[in-house]
Amino acid sequence: MNNPILVAANLQKSFADLAVVKNVSLSLDEGEFVSLVGKSGSGKTTLLSLLSSLELPTSGTVSLCGKDIIKASESELALFRRANIGFIFQSFHLIPTLTAWENVAAPLFPEPMEQRIRRERAVKLLEEMQLGHRLEHLPSALSGGEKQRVAIARALINNPRIIFADEPTGNLDSQTGQSIMETLHKVNKEQKLTILMVTHDNELAGNADRTLTMQDGVIQ
Amino acid sequence: MQLISVWREIRLRWRRHFTAILGLSIGLCLLLLLNALSNAYKEATKIPLQDVGADISIQRNGDVPEELNGVVFSCSAVTIQHHEIEAIRNMAGVRSVAQAVLLWVFQDDQFAMVLGIEPESTLGPGRLKNYMVEGRYLTNGKEALLDESFAREQGLTVGDSVAVAGQSFSVVGLVAASQAPKMVVAHIYIPLDEAQAMATVSEGVQKVSPFSSQDANVLFLTADQEAIPALSASLSEVMGKDTAISTPDTFLRKLGTMFALSDRFSAAVGLIILVVTFLLVFKTVAGGIHERAREIAVFKCIGWTNGNIRKQIVSETLAQCLLAAAIGTALAVIASWLLSLHTLDIMIPWEMAPTPHFLPGGGEPVFRTVHLPVQLSLPLIGIAFALSLGLGAIISLFCTNRISKIKPSEVLRHE
Ligand SMILES: Nc1ncnc2c1ncn2[C@@H]1O[C@H](COP(=O)(O)OP(=O)(O)O)[C@@H](O)[C@H]1O
Ligand SMILES: [Mg+2]
Repeated sequence: MNNPILVAANLQKSFADLAVVKNVSLSLDEGEFVSLVGKSGSGKTTLLSLLSSLELPTSGTVSLCGKDIIKASESELALFRRANIGFIFQSFHLIPTLTAWENVAAPLFPEPMEQRIRRERAVKLLEEMQLGHRLEHLPSALSGGEKQRVAIARALINNPRIIFADEPTGNLDSQTGQSIMETLHKVNKEQKLTILMVTHDNELAGNADRTLTMQDGVIQ
Repeated sequence: MQLISVWREIRLRWRRHFTAILGLSIGLCLLLLLNALSNAYKEATKIPLQDVGADISIQRNGDVPEELNGVVFSCSAVTIQHHEIEAIRNMAGVRSVAQAVLLWVFQDDQFAMVLGIEPESTLGPGRLKNYMVEGRYLTNGKEALLDESFAREQGLTVGDSVAVAGQSFSVVGLVAASQAPKMVVAHIYIPLDEAQAMATVSEGVQKVSPFSSQDANVLFLTADQEAIPALSASLSEVMGKDTAISTPDTFLRKLGTMFALSDRFSAAVGLIILVVTFLLVFKTVAGGIHERAREIAVFKCIGWTNGNIRKQIVSETLAQCLLAAAIGTALAVIASWLLSLHTLDIMIPWEMAPTPHFLPGGGEPVFRTVHLPVQLSLPLIGIAFALSLGLGAIISLFCTNRISKIKPSEVLRHE
């Protein structure tokens, strides 16, 4: 019954002669909410970038949504990410010159599609995030929590199969962080979306289906 | 994608874009003006000849009269022989030729400049038709037109007769010669063949410059515009180097300004402006990509290909270049309007309007004052837009090569 969406085997990543990820093998099932914890500098972010196709490993294999991402070309991976993956970052990374709804719709812009449809889809998601009144605001006018909810909406707009989140509450106060977590759990449950979340907050990690702990580049 | 975001991009990062857009628009404005101004000078210098409906005027320099008595030639307008005139008429590029005979006539302590003109011609002195103040224009026969102030001084009017070198002409009209083109200014105008006959029998003329009844001493030519430079060269060859062949170029050279003088000057300045604006736009686009590396990495994360991002940046740059071209053109329109208020004095050398030295104002050059015809032609504006867009396209296509070097994982760093 378990249906793995992400399978990584013997992943290694070194920067010059510094080994950051050492022989990691793991597997995520479809619909799972997995948190990855560990001390700062233990290699969590690096591992996340290897698993999500943002970075190539020095050695090892990654199969994501059935695709061998090690062998794919750069533009193939871009299209692959557009179709299957959503990202949420600690510092939101909204585009400062785009309004809230344009930020949400940004993954759709390269797609041949009517602007009206893009906007409709973005507005629907923003309303679900309780941001229906913030459509035309620039990121600079939004609070941290609002920014992160715009980012979540952006991550969801392509109906991805998996979301990678790197410390999504790291720049937020605990109360706002809590509500972001609730949102993530909600989409995980409602849409059967797989989520891999990096955090160094053990309490947040505890609410996940499964917690992986990383130390010195190794999953314990 | 999103050209709506371009304006926001400019507004929110105005510090970066402002200098480039302004710089580019000023550069384009200067290029437009440089070109328009150099054209304006060229056009302006056509005006003195256009005033008499001609493209080229021809006179031959000779000796001064031995005695200022009776009928003589000015030293700046001696005989051009009939066969020479016929040869000119047949030269390639020549459309029409008008002849005139300019005489200085001294009689009983009186002096008059007499111009013999072809009554049926509209070219050269034929333009006098537009300056009639009284009576009618000349026809062949013993008829004369008088300059109105000369007529007033002499107490003559239409219907009277005037004596020229012992012959009597009836005054059929008065012209405002002071307002007429300087090149055809005289006191008395008579039919060409009368003036030719007068010169033929004049001892004073024959001693200095043999003249027969079919000759003339001033020619006005119309010619094909493209043929003028070549024509002017072959004319001086045929006529000898003592001949003054006046074309718009002659006046241009007399003006002596940078703009008038050399296309090379304009080309050099234009090139400098082009290089400076190129560097400015290059710096902005390259700097923009550098500054937005993180943003570009975000686009890569969310599934934009290098091509998608390149397309976005190229179209942003093109939109800015379009804006700059529009601003530059607007600035140039305003500036050229201001410049066209400026007047220019084009010197008409004494030789071409030879008033004797003993007359008031004689011996001094006269000027034709014109407004500089500074005009931005549509093709010129089109070229400015094309230049701006071409610059933007080349630079942004080149700079966006860097995009592929930005790794999407950069978005995860330095948080
Ligand atoms: N691009 C890189 N170049 C060099 N060193 C890097 C790079 N990315 C990460 N590192 C190093 O790898 C180690 C793990 O970093 P990271 O994966 O960000 O850890 P974490 O997210 O757990 O804090 C750190 O020592 C970091 O300096
Ligand atoms: Mg990290």
